[in-house]
Amino acid sequence: MPPSDWRYSTIFLASLFHLLLTWAAFSGSAMAGESRDLMLAVYSVPKEAYERTIIPAFQRSWKQRTGQDIRIRSSYGASGAQARAIIGGFDADVAALSLESDLDQITKAGLIAHDWRTGPNNGMVSASVVALGVRKGNPKGIMSWEDLARPGIEVLYPNPKTSGGAMWDVVAIYGAGLKLAEQQAGTRNNAKAESPETVAAGLLKRIQKNVKVMDKSGRESVTTFERGVGDVIVTYENELLPRINSHRPYEIIVPNETVWIENPVALIDRNVDRHRIRDVAEAFVSFLHSEEAQAAFTKLGFRPIGQAASQASSGTALPLPSRLFTVTDLGGWEKVSATLFGPRGTWTTIVEDLAREK
Amino acid sequence: MTPHKLLELSLRSAAIGYVSLLILLPLAAIAHQSFIGGIAHFIEDISSPQASSALILTLEAAFLTTVINAILGTLSAIVLVRYEFPGRWFLNALVDLPFAIPTLVTGLMIAAVYGPTSMAGTWLQQGGLTLLYAKPGIVLAMLLVTMPFTIRSLQPVLIELEREQEDAAFSLGASPWTTFWKVTVPSVLPGLLTGVFLTFVRALGEFGSIVIVAGNIPMKTQVASVYVYGEIESYNPQGATSVSVFILLISFLVLILLERLTRPPGERMPRWLRWPNRPLDMVRPSEIG
Repeated sequence: MPPSDWRYSTIFLASLFHLLLTWAAFSGSAMAGESRDLMLAVYSVPKEAYERTIIPAFQRSWKQRTGQDIRIRSSYGASGAQARAIIGGFDADVAALSLESDLDQITKAGLIAHDWRTGPNNGMVSASVVALGVRKGNPKGIMSWEDLARPGIEVLYPNPKTSGGAMWDVVAIYGAGLKLAEQQAGTRNNAKAESPETVAAGLLKRIQKNVKVMDKSGRESVTTFERGVGDVIVTYENELLPRINSHRPYEIIVPNETVWIENPVALIDRNVDRHRIRDVAEAFVSFLHSEEAQAAFTKLGFRPIGQAASQASSGTALPLPSRLFTVTDLGGWEKVSATLFGPRGTWTTIVEDLAREK
Repeated sequence: MTPHKLLELSLRSAAIGYVSLLILLPLAAIAHQSFIGGIAHFIEDISSPQASSALILTLEAAFLTTVINAILGTLSAIVLVRYEFPGRWFLNALVDLPFAIPTLVTGLMIAAVYGPTSMAGTWLQQGGLTLLYAKPGIVLAMLLVTMPFTIRSLQPVLIELEREQEDAAFSLGASPWTTFWKVTVPSVLPGLLTGVFLTFVRALGEFGSIVIVAGNIPMKTQVASVYVYGEIESYNPQGATSVSVFILLISFLVLILLERLTRPPGERMPRWLRWPNRPLDMVRPSEIG
């Protein structure tokens, strides 16, 4: 190519870039206009609670208190995708995600400067447990985790690599295995008993062997189940409850041993300061702990956030499973991510072993 | 500089700029990201048990897809070009549809037809055949998504093909099979190759439909694109880009091969791309004399 061509293509490229930059700058300044805007990044499951109840109620209460109108724009998507978008520059002021570790990633990127775990309820706003969905009438008689490991039972849960929900599912199975091992050790001769970790890994392996489809998200897993695939689905209780209430032909089983799930919220320091909206963001986060917001979550199938701590199944609340545990009991997310899902983690090894055995 | 020359230059620059902006820059970015940890890291990423088995499964399925589409696509193209029958125009219009449907929807369509509650699904299950959530499901999704390539790249060459050549072969006593194999196939080969290679590389990258019908069990039914998605979702962009770049490398090699195989004889190519001997070129008259 003659040198003059290079010059022209450089000019062409430069002007195109310039065009893009001006456009970006314009749209940026338009967004940071004078009206007060709050931008939310929420994971997909509680959308209805936010859209129908929480957001309008907050706007009303803020108007009452300050006389100001607040425009709230919210985006809903997979928890991990939201976290990555925020790290990549998405302007959200408040992030309501499904996994603590997703908020931790945003913190690591330097966008959250405060310790969000020091807030009320340790920064958590909604709660649930991992439960089982079975076909109407429970034809396979599934009552406990051990039933999922029976030969011929087809199990569904999403891939923990792509779905925070599936991480909870696997943690529930593994933790239930630990609980069952404890029980066995109590009744049986201690000298003969296997280590709790071996028992738990064994249970997880036998269940993983029965897994037929691993979708990319909890929602998709439910869709696959509704399509008629599988005998049992492992997922959030709050994912199953609203569907059963709207007369889908399946039933919910809450195993005795299961994990307590909590979903965190935090304001994104860098974005709220840039948008000068910290007061609104702080008020919104604390509003999520109000009775009104909590009622909206419960109506959608979540559990009251304080239920596990108070051990109270008061009034209309669902009964607590008898051997409930938390991720903290297993050493916290950081440890669990490494020991279960890391490159040498229990789940990873099990999947590789199962592929080799076939 | 004459206005004509100026116009030519600016058009050429526009084309170069367009291609660079849309393809070259993102490609460079992803290649840079995957090699940021060094070549050893790259090799480690693509040879991890889950990554390598996903890559092998993808290559196998894409290869099978290519073979099936090459055979059935060729037959379909011949039927669509050569035979008059009622509804031909409709069938012909239908061929492009897989390009117009979002591939996630393609996946949903396959799941609806062959799912356990559907008629075909129950029938298959009774016959002991599992299509969905197994390897055949992956190939089926790839077939559907890549179907137009072979047919659409063969149709124009089939139309151009002079029937006189085939008639001449017949009249000289060649059997229909010999005529097809010795006359028809060689003349449509460049078109067929284009279709075949595009099918292969498109199948390698398919995600949307496969993620719905494959089952996605790691090391069993998880293809490379789904593995890549998993690594992105679990905050391992390095592992994701390494596997992506590996797929890109294969696609790039395949496309270069295609470029070499289908170049019309006589056209200039960079020396490093030239064949030592030209397999598809007919010997030019100048070389005989």
